[in-house]
Amino acid sequence: MSALSVQFKAVNKKYPHFALEDIDLELPVGSIMGFIGANGAGKSTTIRILMGLVHQDHGSVQVLGHSMPSDQAAAKLEIGFVSEDMRLYGPATLAWHMDFLRPIYPGWDQRYADKLVQRFDLKPQQKIKGLSHGQRVKAALLLALARRPRLLVLDEPTTGLDPVARHEVLQELMAVLADEDRTILFSSHNTLDVEQISDQITFIDRGRIIDSDNKEAFLDRWRRLRLVLPPDGSIPRLPGVVEVGGSSRLPVLTTNRFEPAMLSACSDLGATVQAVDTMTLEEIFVANVHCRRERLTA
Amino acid sequence: MNYSMVKTLVLKDWYFQRQAILLAFAGGAVSLGIVCIGGQAAFTIGLILLVTVMVMISAMTVMGNVLGERENQTLAFAMTLPISYVEYTASKILGNLLIFVPFWLTMLVGSLAVILISPAIHGFFAFAIIMAVEILVSTCLMLVVALVSESKGWSITAMVTGNLALNVVGYLVAHLPGIKEGLFGTQIYWTSTATISLAIEFALIALLIGGALHIQSRKRDFI
Repeated sequence: MSALSVQFKAVNKKYPHFALEDIDLELPVGSIMGFIGANGAGKSTTIRILMGLVHQDHGSVQVLGHSMPSDQAAAKLEIGFVSEDMRLYGPATLAWHMDFLRPIYPGWDQRYADKLVQRFDLKPQQKIKGLSHGQRVKAALLLALARRPRLLVLDEPTTGLDPVARHEVLQELMAVLADEDRTILFSSHNTLDVEQISDQITFIDRGRIIDSDNKEAFLDRWRRLRLVLPPDGSIPRLPGVVEVGGSSRLPVLTTNRFEPAMLSACSDLGATVQAVDTMTLEEIFVANVHCRRERLTA
Repeated sequence: MNYSMVKTLVLKDWYFQRQAILLAFAGGAVSLGIVCIGGQAAFTIGLILLVTVMVMISAMTVMGNVLGERENQTLAFAMTLPISYVEYTASKILGNLLIFVPFWLTMLVGSLAVILISPAIHGFFAFAIIMAVEILVSTCLMLVVALVSESKGWSITAMVTGNLALNVVGYLVAHLPGIKEGLFGTQIYWTSTATISLAIEFALIALLIGGALHIQSRKRDFI
């Protein structure tokens, strides 16, 4: 069993109008997990619990071998955190922020920080309040990366960025991935960003984790089958069908347990397989959420 | 307690409040200068200005350091540092007091010096100290309410309450047996009543700070 950077066991947190329920989450060392959920699904709450900023009501959270929230100070020494709603000090410059953080983090890498300043085209003497949103995100990312953290937690960092800034941020994250010992948790509702950099995917909806697997497995096992049924033919019973669309003669089945053997099974039942469509992560996420919500309301 | 991190955060707050600190010292010096001109009008105007500057600096630092951090969303940045929330709270209490107290102490010493060089108002000596400590109590009240409630509304309510209390306490202290007899005299008049009044005020400060740390240590959600 590989070592874990993060482990949530049956974590619960209740608010008056929202609850996180039975969150089990494991991040092996060196993995890059994309944490996908709609707005208000519970991504940020989960991440805040991970950071010790919010205390869980029940369950245990271990981060880099530290029990959270009790041992949060020691854990945070090894975590780099960037969040969409986190701001740097407006009246101070980026250089001030670097000087402020350098003595706090023993692993602070000034040469890397300087390199990132160049790569992100930032001006260290410029005040944070004078930076654009994209520059602020890059500055926050720089301050997180230069700590050389063992765990990088990114809560919707690309939200609101223009395509160029988003590309630059993702490029830098991909460069960081070269370090096999660094674990990354990347939360977003933008599945394209997550798909680019993650090797593990976890979907969260309405406070519950609805699916978690490695990215390739997700993309391999989800398929959309376009069938043509004979007159009076019925839809074949296939494993893992989560959604049936199309018409009665031309049904479209979405399955999360696709196997090539399904095609011959369809033919045996008299159905013609017109097409087998691969699905994007976004389509998989939407189908997954719809399926769960329908099951809950049924 | 990670004292090194607490110190780092205190220095950070000082850095961001450096202009307010300078402004307060300048305002305080002007106020004391007016008091030094002599005469009842200058004394009253200077004293009112001095109290106003004290209230202003305490409000500015609390609003800037405590509520500003939440409002400007920099609290998330501060809380990603290797600290616990109790350490963060301790840094805020210490930071604000270390901004306010040197200014307050300078103004108190200045005021006492003015009283001591004017024999006609020597009787104000005990009253001035009690009222100066009352301003410190009001500052602590606002600071603690801001930290615990995290609300601008409640903090402003605490500030108004503190200022109203200043008038009420001023009236009550001036009429306390053991204070009122010597208030308008030409001799320094120190009694056990003055000592007890000060002890009550310092106990209140300790209670407010201890209570805030206790409540903050039991909080479950910080952001």
